[in-house]
Amino acid sequence: MKLAIDIARSLLMARWRQTLVAAIGVTFSVGMFVALLGFMEGLNGMLDSLFLNRTPHIRLYNEVKPAAVQPVMLLPAYRSGHHFIHSVKPKGSRTEIHNSAAIMQALRQDGRVAGIAPKVAMEVFFNEGPSDIAASVNGIDVLQENALFHFSEYVQAGDPASLEKVPNSIILGKALAERLLTDVGERVQLTTPGGERFTLKVVALWQSGIQDFDRIQSFTSLATARKLSGKTGNFVTDIQIRLNNIDDAPALAKMYGQMFNTSAQDVQTLSAEFETGSFIRSLISYVVGITLLTVSGFGIYNILNMMIYEKMDTIAILKATGFSGKDVRRIFTIMALSIGVFGGLAGLLFGGMLSVGIDQVPFRTTSLPTVTTYPVSYEPFIYIIGAVFSLLFTWLAGWLPSRKAGTIDPVIIIRGK
Amino acid sequence: MGEIILEARNVNKYFHDPVEVKVLDGIGLSVNKGEFATITGKSGCGKSTLLYILSTMDTDYEGELNIDGEQMKGKNEAALARVRSGKIGFVFQFHYLLNEFSVLQNVMLPGLKLNRFPPAEVEQRAMAKLDQLGIGPLAKRKAYQLSGGEKQRVAIARALINDPCIIMGDEPTGNLDKKNGELVFEIFRRLAEEYRQTLLIVTHDQEFASRTDRVIRMEDGKIVQS
Repeated sequence: MKLAIDIARSLLMARWRQTLVAAIGVTFSVGMFVALLGFMEGLNGMLDSLFLNRTPHIRLYNEVKPAAVQPVMLLPAYRSGHHFIHSVKPKGSRTEIHNSAAIMQALRQDGRVAGIAPKVAMEVFFNEGPSDIAASVNGIDVLQENALFHFSEYVQAGDPASLEKVPNSIILGKALAERLLTDVGERVQLTTPGGERFTLKVVALWQSGIQDFDRIQSFTSLATARKLSGKTGNFVTDIQIRLNNIDDAPALAKMYGQMFNTSAQDVQTLSAEFETGSFIRSLISYVVGITLLTVSGFGIYNILNMMIYEKMDTIAILKATGFSGKDVRRIFTIMALSIGVFGGLAGLLFGGMLSVGIDQVPFRTTSLPTVTTYPVSYEPFIYIIGAVFSLLFTWLAGWLPSRKAGTIDPVIIIRGK
Repeated sequence: MGEIILEARNVNKYFHDPVEVKVLDGIGLSVNKGEFATITGKSGCGKSTLLYILSTMDTDYEGELNIDGEQMKGKNEAALARVRSGKIGFVFQFHYLLNEFSVLQNVMLPGLKLNRFPPAEVEQRAMAKLDQLGIGPLAKRKAYQLSGGEKQRVAIARALINDPCIIMGDEPTGNLDKKNGELVFEIFRRLAEEYRQTLLIVTHDQEFASRTDRVIRMEDGKIVQS
């Protein structure tokens, strides 16, 4: 074995330029693969987070709907038979989640839940001169909202923390603020569905990057929102849940809905097209990656193949002087694998450096204010695939010709002269 | 008559491409220990083909082959490689040294492969063989830096490294000028006389052949004189 390694090394070093070219071939393809897949994974992650960053995995709320059990069904006299009831209407418009404090307490103790954020959602009219502009006000807990949904990252101007400090304050969507002709530090007037009028101070502007969203969204503290809706205490219309594992969402949503007697919506149901888009994007990057690997694999195969066929004389001499086919095979496999190991390692390094380079290129997008350069993924599995591939393909590329070299009678080669 | 080192019985060989041709026809041959024998004949009479079969490098033949009392037919490739390693030294018309290695390494390689002695001792023995052939000072050079005659002597040293039962040569002087050819012949003669080395050399050089112990003449795939 040691002799085989020595011979392989001498053969490689004797033609070090050719060896270098072969190794560079491996380096280049592995490096390109790592950089490209890292870049695509990074972009994928960014596109996913565009949606997932701001979306709760499960949302608990109370839908306004008619009672499932109508009074007539409860009467013993009419227990039997079928009930035909026309024009069923919901009773009242109670959007509050009943017993929300206890539900939140229970959720906080659930190990599968990463965090929860309560919300008070309502519709209002902003008054700008004679015109009324319809918009939503969301009462939020800024601290929780930050922890779960990166709320502050989307704030363009002003300080989101002032929401809790300044009484009667509001954060407006950027497009909404433009419609209202206001800016940070100014005041806006709004009318609640109950007909009451409030004046709130604008402390910050918020931008999601989705224009339609920014035109109608605004945020206040939970306490201010409760005041606007004329409710007190624990009034909460939504509980947003973020899970440790997003794949649990559909099952848990169903369970929570039954357990807490509320409506529950999971992210997968909310946005099936998101799932599809994410899947298609991953599929594309893997197809591109595999294509790249296959193409470069053939390149590596060609180089190694040529290298070994050039050494046919050497093979004949080794065999004539007492080396067996197995020894010859071993020598060439060692040659191929060492090219794979060194070329592959250099390739991982090269790919990593390319990734770092791409990571420096400025890239700004309004929808993701935290992103300033092109996103690149440094996921270990990309590097593992690259390493495994370089070894596997050089081994394969060396295996086929070395098998031939191992079985050929030396006299065939000598005679061919 | 001494001990028989190499014996071939009724060896037939065909070339199949482009048409089936019988190149060796019922060859029977035995070589005794210590014999310096040559195989001669015109080009195409099958003498090199026979030598490749006798050296176990060509396995595509009919008939029986015994080397040092061992039957060769039916052995697998690895076993034949072991036979070549331990019992046969081969010298080609072209030197066939590995240009990637130094002269000393070229000589050592078959010894390292056989692994009969530890590497340090193999090196010592290789050096001794080179000195014996008068090329000791060239040991550290690369193979391609040598002249044709020097290369052929290195090839002989390589053939000797494992103390083979028999040394086979395929036109070992065929590619050398008169002076170097004479030098190589002298080495063979000395090996035969001083070291009782068995030699079986293929040559078409009649003068070379006439000075050896035994001349085996071939014609059209048959032995006509032995």
